[in-house]
Amino acid sequence: MTDNLLHLTDVSKSFGDVHAIEHVSLEIKNESVVGLVGGNGAGKTTLLRMMAGIYKPTTGRVHLKDGKNVDEMRSVLGVVPESTGLYSKLTAWENIRFHSRIHGIEDSVAWSRTIRFAELLDMQDSLHRYTEGFSRGMRQKTALLRALAHGPSILLLDEPTAGLDVTSARIVRKLVSKLKDEGGTVIYSTHHLAEAEQVCDRIIIVHNGTIRADGTPEDLLSITNTNSLEEAYVSLTSEVARPRQEDMVEPSKFAMLWRRLFTRSPGYEVNEDE
Amino acid sequence: MSRIRFTQMRIVAKKEIMEFIRDWRTIVALILVPLLLFPLLFIAFPLVMQNEAQELQQLDVDVLIQSDYIDEDIFLGLNQTNMTITTEALPDGLETLSEPLNDSSRLRSYEYDAILRLQQMNDTWVYSVLFLSTSEQSTEARNRVLDVLNEWETNETIERIEAGGLDADTTLNPLRWDGEISDADVATKGEQAGMLLSLFIPFVLALWTASAAVQPAIDMTVGERERGTLESLLSLPLSRSELLMGKWLAVVTITGVGVALQVAGLLFGIAFLAEDLVNVPEISIASVLLLTLAVGLYGTMIVALYLALAMRSKSVKEAGTVLAPITLAMIVPILLTQFINLDDVESFWFAIPFVNVLLALRELLLDRVIVEHVIIWISVSIFVSSLTIRYAAKQFSREDIVTSRS
Repeated sequence: MTDNLLHLTDVSKSFGDVHAIEHVSLEIKNESVVGLVGGNGAGKTTLLRMMAGIYKPTTGRVHLKDGKNVDEMRSVLGVVPESTGLYSKLTAWENIRFHSRIHGIEDSVAWSRTIRFAELLDMQDSLHRYTEGFSRGMRQKTALLRALAHGPSILLLDEPTAGLDVTSARIVRKLVSKLKDEGGTVIYSTHHLAEAEQVCDRIIIVHNGTIRADGTPEDLLSITNTNSLEEAYVSLTSEVARPRQEDMVEPSKFAMLWRRLFTRSPGYEVNEDE
Repeated sequence: MSRIRFTQMRIVAKKEIMEFIRDWRTIVALILVPLLLFPLLFIAFPLVMQNEAQELQQLDVDVLIQSDYIDEDIFLGLNQTNMTITTEALPDGLETLSEPLNDSSRLRSYEYDAILRLQQMNDTWVYSVLFLSTSEQSTEARNRVLDVLNEWETNETIERIEAGGLDADTTLNPLRWDGEISDADVATKGEQAGMLLSLFIPFVLALWTASAAVQPAIDMTVGERERGTLESLLSLPLSRSELLMGKWLAVVTITGVGVALQVAGLLFGIAFLAEDLVNVPEISIASVLLLTLAVGLYGTMIVALYLALAMRSKSVKEAGTVLAPITLAMIVPILLTQFINLDDVESFWFAIPFVNVLLALRELLLDRVIVEHVIIWISVSIFVSSLTIRYAAKQFSREDIVTSRS
C-alpha cells in the first residue's frame, strides 16, 4: 500500500525579506526513503523544520494524509536534528525516555522498542551511560533511538551521517534501509549525493529554496540527460548558491553602528604601517 | 496562550530539575550556600567581632599629653598597661584646643596615636583629643583617653556635690526609670522579632529570588539553544506554552527551594545561634499563607520576565548582560520599601508592582493582615504576573528561537 503520508502544498517560507523556501509542493509516500539533497543554504533544513512543525509556512500548507496540520499531530513524527539535541547530564535512556513520555508512551513500551533498535546499532551497553562523553557517532545513534522509541510513521533525519566515521555512517544507513523494509517512511537530508543514491529510492534536489528535480536516480539522469548523478546535480544547480539563511540576516542598525565604532578598517592599518 | 496540559508541563519541569541537580556546582551555589549562609554568619560574626575587640584591647598606643598642669588622678588613670604616655607643654598660639596646627603631621606620621590637650581654667578644665579617625589604633587611643576622662569627671562631680553637702545620687538622678525598660514594651518578643526581621527578610527574599533565578532561566532557554537541544524539543508534541510553563515551573521550584532553605537557615540561626539578640517572629497562619503567596507571585513575575528576556537573547553571554543589571535594579524597590512607614502607609503603594509585594512581606511579618492592602497587592500582582507570562509566551512562540537570533 503506498498512501501519501505527508503533503506540502505550494509552501513558501520567508524570514523578513529572506525567502528561504519558494512554492514547494511535495507528497511523501508511505514505505519510502526520500532524500533531500542540496548544498549549504539550499533550504533542506527549513523544509525539514516545516515538516516537523517547528516552522509554520508563510504561505501554503503542510499536512498529513488525514488533513491535519503536522504541528497538531507531531506524535507521528520522529525527528533527528543535525545537532542531535541530547542532554549531556542525562543518560542515553533518560534522553530517550523524556521524549517518549512527551509522546505519551509508557516507559516499558519505549524500553522494548529502544532495546530492539539498540541491538541493531550496537548501543545496548551504552544506554545507561551519560551522553556527555559520547562520540559523534554514539550521539547520532542515541538520537535515532530517541526518535524511534515512540514508533513514528515518518522519520525526519537532518544530515544523519554528517561528521560520522565510515563504520557509524554505514550502521545508520543500514538502519534506514531496515526501517524502509519494515514499512517505515524516512525523509533524509544530506549534501552527499552518493549517500542519497545508496539509501534513497527518491531524490529531491533542493537549490536556493526551490525544488530543481524530484524522482528516482534514474529519473534524474533521464531529465538532465547525463551519465552520472553528480553531473545531473551540477546541471540542476548551476547558478551560484546563495548564503545560508542565518548569514543573510544583518544585526540591527544601532548594533552595526556600535560595532563600527570599535572596528579598524584594513585600509587604516595599511596606512598606519606605511 | 494555547491550552496547557499539566502532564507535559510536569515532564518538562522534571527533566529540567533532574539535569539541574546533576550539576554539583549549581547545587552548591543555589542550595548549600543559601542554607548555610546565615548559620555561618551567625557563628562567624560574633567570633570575628570578639577577636577584633580583643586585638584592639591588646594594642600598644602612644598618647601625648599637652598640658601645663595635669591632675594626678588623670595621669594615673592614663598611665595604664598598653598605653605609653609622653608629656609636653601646650603649644602657643591656640585659639581653641581642637586646632591641630602642627600636631596634625605627628598623628599622620604615627608618631603618636592620640594627643590629649588639657588646660585648667579656674574651677573647670577644658580639653580636646586630637586623633586620626581613619586609623583604628588612633581611634582606640582616643577612646581609652575619653574613658579615663569620663571616669575622672564622674568622680570629680560626686566629690564636688558631696563637698556642697548634697547627696550625689539624688542630685544627679532626680528622675529615674522604675523597673526594666524592656518590661514596659507590650509587644511580645516574637512581635519585636517580626518588626526587626520585617526590615531584613523581605530584602533577603527579594534579592535571593531575583539573583537565584538568573542562572537557571538562562540555562533553560538560550543555554538550551546554544547546546542545540531546543530544536529536538520543539519537534515534540508539546505546545510552546507547555514548554514555557514547564521551564517556568522548574525555575520557580529551584529558586523556591533556594529561598526556603535560606529562610530556614536564617530561622535556625536566630533560634539556636543568636537567641540572645532576636527571637523567632510570631505570626498567624493567615500571615504565613499570605507570605507564601506574596513570595510565589514575586517569583512568578521575576521568573517569567527572566525566561522571556533570556529567550530573546542571542547568546548566553548576552542574556547574562541583560539580566545582571535587572537583578541589581531590583535593589531599588527593595531599599525603597525599607523607608516606608507602615503605620500610616497609603494604599497606592500596594498598587505598584514589585514594591507592593515587598511591602506586603513587611506587613505580614508584623502579622498585620489589612484586607484592603491584601486585595490590592494580590490583584495587581496577579495582573502583572499574567502580563509577564504573556510576554514570555510571546517570546517562546517566536519561530526564530530555534536559531541563534533575536
